Amino acid sequence: MSLQARVALQKGTLDLDSDIAADDNQVVVLLGPNAAGKTTLLRALAGLIPLAHGKVVLDGQVLEDPAAGVRVPPECRPVGVVFQDYLLFPHLSILENVAFGPRSRGVHRRAARKTAAEWLERVDLAACAAEKPRALSGGQAQRAALARALATEPRLLLLDEPLAAMDAGTRAEVRRELSRHLSSFSGTSLLVTHDPIEALTLADRLVVLEGGRVVQVGTPDELSAHPRSRYVAGLVGLNLFRGRGIGHVVELSGGQRIIAAETVPQEGDVFVVIPPSAVALHRTSPEGSRRNVWLGTAGALDVVGERIRVHVSGPMPLVAEVTPAAVAALHLGEGGPVFASVKATEVVVYTA
Amino acid sequence: MSERQDIRPETPAERRRAATSKLAVIAGDSIASKPLSREPIPWARSAEAAAQTAPARARRGGRAPFGFVPLAAIGVAFLALPLAALVVRAPWRHLTADLTAPGVLTALRLSLVCSLGALIVSILLGVPLAWLLARVPFRGRNVVRAFIVLPMVLPPVVGGVALLLAFGRNGIAGQWLDRAFGVTLPFTTAGAILAEAFVAMPFLVITVEAGLRAMDRRYEDAAATLGAGRWTTFRRVTLPLIAPALGAGAALCWARALGEFGATITFAGNLPGSTQTVPLAVYLALQSNPDAAITLSLVMLVVCLTVLIALRDRWFPSR
Repeated sequence: MSLQARVALQKGTLDLDSDIAADDNQVVVLLGPNAAGKTTLLRALAGLIPLAHGKVVLDGQVLEDPAAGVRVPPECRPVGVVFQDYLLFPHLSILENVAFGPRSRGVHRRAARKTAAEWLERVDLAACAAEKPRALSGGQAQRAALARALATEPRLLLLDEPLAAMDAGTRAEVRRELSRHLSSFSGTSLLVTHDPIEALTLADRLVVLEGGRVVQVGTPDELSAHPRSRYVAGLVGLNLFRGRGIGHVVELSGGQRIIAAETVPQEGDVFVVIPPSAVALHRTSPEGSRRNVWLGTAGALDVVGERIRVHVSGPMPLVAEVTPAAVAALHLGEGGPVFASVKATEVVVYTA
Repeated sequence: MSERQDIRPETPAERRRAATSKLAVIAGDSIASKPLSREPIPWARSAEAAAQTAPARARRGGRAPFGFVPLAAIGVAFLALPLAALVVRAPWRHLTADLTAPGVLTALRLSLVCSLGALIVSILLGVPLAWLLARVPFRGRNVVRAFIVLPMVLPPVVGGVALLLAFGRNGIAGQWLDRAFGVTLPFTTAGAILAEAFVAMPFLVITVEAGLRAMDRRYEDAAATLGAGRWTTFRRVTLPLIAPALGAGAALCWARALGEFGATITFAGNLPGSTQTVPLAVYLALQSNPDAAITLSLVMLVVCLTVLIALRDRWFPSR
């Protein structure tokens, strides 16, 4: 593992204590809701915030160890950062911006400018070298910020919500480019985002941070199949519950019971996943083979492609995916009581 | 007096808001799989409505309370009349002769030397002080800031007396300076520079502190992550970003130093050639040669007007 870090610190109301590990040439994505501590973690790795406890080791070099009194200041760390608003120096041209890193590290002006010109060529910004940052578009500014961070040849690249400042149209295009640049970068990349599409498409490994703690680590596929928190389940669009499983039955904390087709893998604490497409809605209590039926109230409707997601509230909150025709036939737009049923064969259970 | 330098015309939050309000209008089409933040459009409508009535209100004219208009007119006259009188009664015919008289030129040269000296002292001591006040949270920071502002409000003569007690021959620091280095400050040009710096430095400190507080500190973070040490960051990133605030502070400081009278005459005396700056020369000339006094006063007026005009965008932004 080229990056091994345990970061523990207090910042305002945030209590951050998390372990991060990453390999060379790997893109690790830090995913989480707002105020989860993702940006704080990034800033701590960059050296901009001191640790209270923990240790940061990069390529065998100890960058920070409060217990041993070791703290390498940010200007001496082989770390490059692409900030959320890019923070290109407004009073310098793009070329001078990219040359800033090498020049600060002692390279002569001409050599630094040459290196900068090469990097601008690599990110396809050679034409804008003499312009000021305010003249650039969002995508161009992001590429300039990336070139600026990479010009110092860091071992660790940190990106804080690199696509947040962009509108949906340019985001897909820039995401593809970013993916290309990251795969050609030989060091480790750590990217922070709250956008699930960004996370799932760019990540080699996903680390989910919630309330300052790491909640789940895995590949995008693992997370999609087996989410371990409501937040992740919501991101990948699944219904997630946690309860005590015995035999075919999972009992939730509120007393509701979910019946699964297979016996639980191990008696005890389990997660239950119900895909929204497996939830059927009825206005009257349904008969038939379905073993899981709950009464709730139809609430908000979301359009997803050609389907509609209905949020059902009640003792068993669920998201159901139905066709627009079904919404019309059942008058679901008006709300009101509704029965939600799930076939036991559609329920997925795994150990917590 | 915000120095925030945006690198794009709109912030990301504004662009997101614009995008979501556009999407809300064409809702119903299949767009995204996650629920959009529902930004209510009514806020845009009410802002539009307010903008439409504002010009109408201005056209009607503000309804001033009874008597305000004549009182305001008297106020303008009160402030403008003395300045107008200065221009009207100036001895235009022999202005050049008056300006080039030997005593006058000496006073002008001395004023320039002393005010620039005071400016240099203010920058050398004031910028680090401003940095301390803006960036380092230490106990008693507010007390220190109050002390900094004090010379701005204190009667300058009082400042001069205080300076004598500190740096005079028998002063707290003065007697040590005299004994150890043989340095005397009162009634010397250096003393005049010190007196002017005492009253003018606060202007620089306050303005630069405001500039430092207003700038986006994340640029300094960015510089650090790129490998710039503290001094490099200050030189290449912070200074250029606070340059407007520093320039305005320096202009104010210099103008104040130029016009200082009370502290200078008390601490440095009125010695022609070494401490008789223009304000002191005017005071003296008023008794013997009023024309020279008026001419010198006119010079000071022109200088102050120039500073004000140069800084007009900072203080009186045109709407």
